[in-house]
Amino acid sequence: MSSAVVFDPGQHRVTDHPPPIVQVVDQSRGTWGIMLFITTEACLFVMLFVAYFFLVQINGYWRIEERPKLHYSLPMLAVLVLSSFVLHWGEQQVKKGLLNKGRLALGLTILLGLFFLFLTYLEDTEHLRTLTPRSNSYGSIFYTIVSLHGLHVCVGLLMLSWVFFLRQWEPAQRAPHRPYHNAAMYWHFVDTVWVFVVGILYVAPNLYKSL
Amino acid sequence: MSTTVVQQRLTALWETPKTLHGWLGTVDHKELGKRYIATAMVFLILGGVEALLIRLQLWGPQGNLLTPEMYDQIFTMHALSMIFWYASPILSGFSIFLVPLLIGARDLAFPRLNAFTYWAFLFSGILLYIGPVLGQAPDAGWFAYVPYTLSRYSPSHGLDLYNVSLVLLTISTTGGAINFLVTILRMRAPGMSISKMPLMLYSTGTMSIIAILSLPALTACNIMLELDRQWQTHFFDVARGGHPLLWQQLFWFFGHPWVYIVFLPATGMISMMVPVFSRRPIVGYAYIAASTVLTGLVGFGVWLHHMFTTGIGHLGMSFFAAASMTISIFTIIQVIAWVATMWLGKPVMTAAMHYVVGFIALIVVGGLSGVATAVIPLDWQINDSYWVVAHIHYVLVGGNLFPVLAALYYWTPKMTGRLMNERWGKISFWVTFIGFQLAFFTMHILGVAGMPRRVYTYVSGLHWGWMNQVITVGAFIVALGILITIINFFWSRKHGAIAGNDPWHADTLEWSTESPPPPYGSLHIPTVISRHPLWDEHEEEEDPRGECILDQGRLTLVTTPLDAQPLSIARIAKDTIKPLLAALGLFVILGAIAFRMMLIVWPAILFTLIVLALWLRPNPETEEA
Repeated sequence: MSSAVVFDPGQHRVTDHPPPIVQVVDQSRGTWGIMLFITTEACLFVMLFVAYFFLVQINGYWRIEERPKLHYSLPMLAVLVLSSFVLHWGEQQVKKGLLNKGRLALGLTILLGLFFLFLTYLEDTEHLRTLTPRSNSYGSIFYTIVSLHGLHVCVGLLMLSWVFFLRQWEPAQRAPHRPYHNAAMYWHFVDTVWVFVVGILYVAPNLYKSL
Repeated sequence: MSTTVVQQRLTALWETPKTLHGWLGTVDHKELGKRYIATAMVFLILGGVEALLIRLQLWGPQGNLLTPEMYDQIFTMHALSMIFWYASPILSGFSIFLVPLLIGARDLAFPRLNAFTYWAFLFSGILLYIGPVLGQAPDAGWFAYVPYTLSRYSPSHGLDLYNVSLVLLTISTTGGAINFLVTILRMRAPGMSISKMPLMLYSTGTMSIIAILSLPALTACNIMLELDRQWQTHFFDVARGGHPLLWQQLFWFFGHPWVYIVFLPATGMISMMVPVFSRRPIVGYAYIAASTVLTGLVGFGVWLHHMFTTGIGHLGMSFFAAASMTISIFTIIQVIAWVATMWLGKPVMTAAMHYVVGFIALIVVGGLSGVATAVIPLDWQINDSYWVVAHIHYVLVGGNLFPVLAALYYWTPKMTGRLMNERWGKISFWVTFIGFQLAFFTMHILGVAGMPRRVYTYVSGLHWGWMNQVITVGAFIVALGILITIINFFWSRKHGAIAGNDPWHADTLEWSTESPPPPYGSLHIPTVISRHPLWDEHEEEEDPRGECILDQGRLTLVTTPLDAQPLSIARIAKDTIKPLLAALGLFVILGAIAFRMMLIVWPAILFTLIVLALWLRPNPETEEA
């Protein structure tokens, strides 16, 4: 893989004994760290989905509550899925060394993420007219999950912007795509959560009612 | 090139200067591990004083030392201090100090994250103890059942502080868990394949996986409760479709695995000490490793046994009762392996070994009362009585405090360079052990006699008085025993015998370094060919060409996860105060949320984000993922 950056003892000529036993710079720890971080974050959403099912099942909310409308949530899904593909394409470009294309894809992903937040705003202003977090426990769990996801979109956007504005992109001691890769992993995670949010919170109640 | 020159070079690279910046910004795992242990011991003492206050109040019928409100706050603070701020952090402290030494690495995988988790742990404890300072401590028990904890019934800031301090502690514990897993899986010495690593790594690794998977359930609970308390949502409000069992299900889905978070690493430490003091390799290495991992796994399927009296269906209860009994098998396997090791070896009864044997005795009793409690009809009878209090103290004091005291006698020489006094160690053991039996065995009887837990007093004529007096006397004897060890520790730091590298003739790598270890750990990254590096013929630091010195910078070796073959060189970050600032930012954010000061929250979030951005910026000099 192109990620193997050779450890260059010439830069560190302070010792007179031979170079170390291996001469590759480690880049795996950060990726392992972000994967474990994503795992624990995913568990948080699983717990909230469990709470959602618990409250829906006990109160029969899918029967009595109004169906959540799909005309914003499905386009929002499309926006996020598209952003993931764009970002993945960008990562491929960076791996090939085409840094400008990578930066372009990153910028595009950030714009799509901001567009997602704009759609969230539209969807919420409409939805809040019929259901609020204080209406009942259904509203509470619904908006908690959606808002927590929105918060994760914001965090993901901050990570991507951080990589976007990172000066040090030239291949120095580290393959340049590594921070890119780690931020992208988090963004893909945020997108995947939205797939589940749409499936469970928006589509499933509609399917249930039409059965 | 002479060894001294290399030593000087490595020391210059790794030593934390003795300045204020060095003190606040150190990322040295040895320093942070010792701080973890010291801070957790402070919480042990705070929780211990609270326990003694509880026992004084319950000395006789109609006690009036404490008001009911104070009593509720004190028993809640006792449990929170012990379960969250002592039991888990102290084990993390030992692991942070020991894991890099055990695997021959120069530091943990993420040293700055390590510093951050320490500060977050400290600040979360401060956040919790703001409550009692204001006279508004949490007062609904450590599992904070709704609806008592809703703002209608508990209007003080106590439960808000409970929520935010637990969120901060969870962030700290999760960060630590990620750090342990990556370190254990990626940074073991060449040759230390997964079948040769010390058993403590299995228990620390399993604990980390449990933490990563179960702690989010607690976070979900804290988020929902705080939203209910401050933003009038209805997760737990029955009138608006909320449900109290939602709290209980999620809390115990976290709560029972937490028992193994504070227990499994302790069994790992026991598995390190038993073979050393039995003078032979441990019996059933693979069985212990497997049952450690299986305990963690099955530990996710037993939480409902905390809720047998809440009216759950019979099928569910039967399944969870069976799983709860199954999990004891894995502990029994470990107990049999430890006893067999002693049986086949030549036990040396040092002070540490006293605590080890005491631990085994207590965990067998606590395990048996646990299996008994998993029997549903018996559970219905003894639920919320002092029987349960007896059980939790047998498994948590027996399963955590005794191994920790053993570890203190065993590893203090490595940390301070001086042995602790053996004679006073044994006296401390017997005092603690006898006091423990007086206090907690009596609680079984008191529970069966009908005394409910968490009552602030009782009427006379129930014949509970004398048992409560025995318990109170026992509690003070336990406190005396622990006090002896604390005094012993401070006395031995000045006057103890010089330890040397390996005072116990132990088998694992931490004993190959000097006591206390130099800032860089071992001179050459060691290589390992067996489970007992110091007992075999192989010379770990044999490195004639000097390829394993790694003094070209702050470097350590990364190896493959299973076979531990050298793979690459990891750069280790320098000392920095950014982790401290990030933890401080989170402290301000969460504290402000608890006191509803939203104007402070936003600037604090901005501050924390800026610190994190600077922290994560790759630095061409010392770049670190």
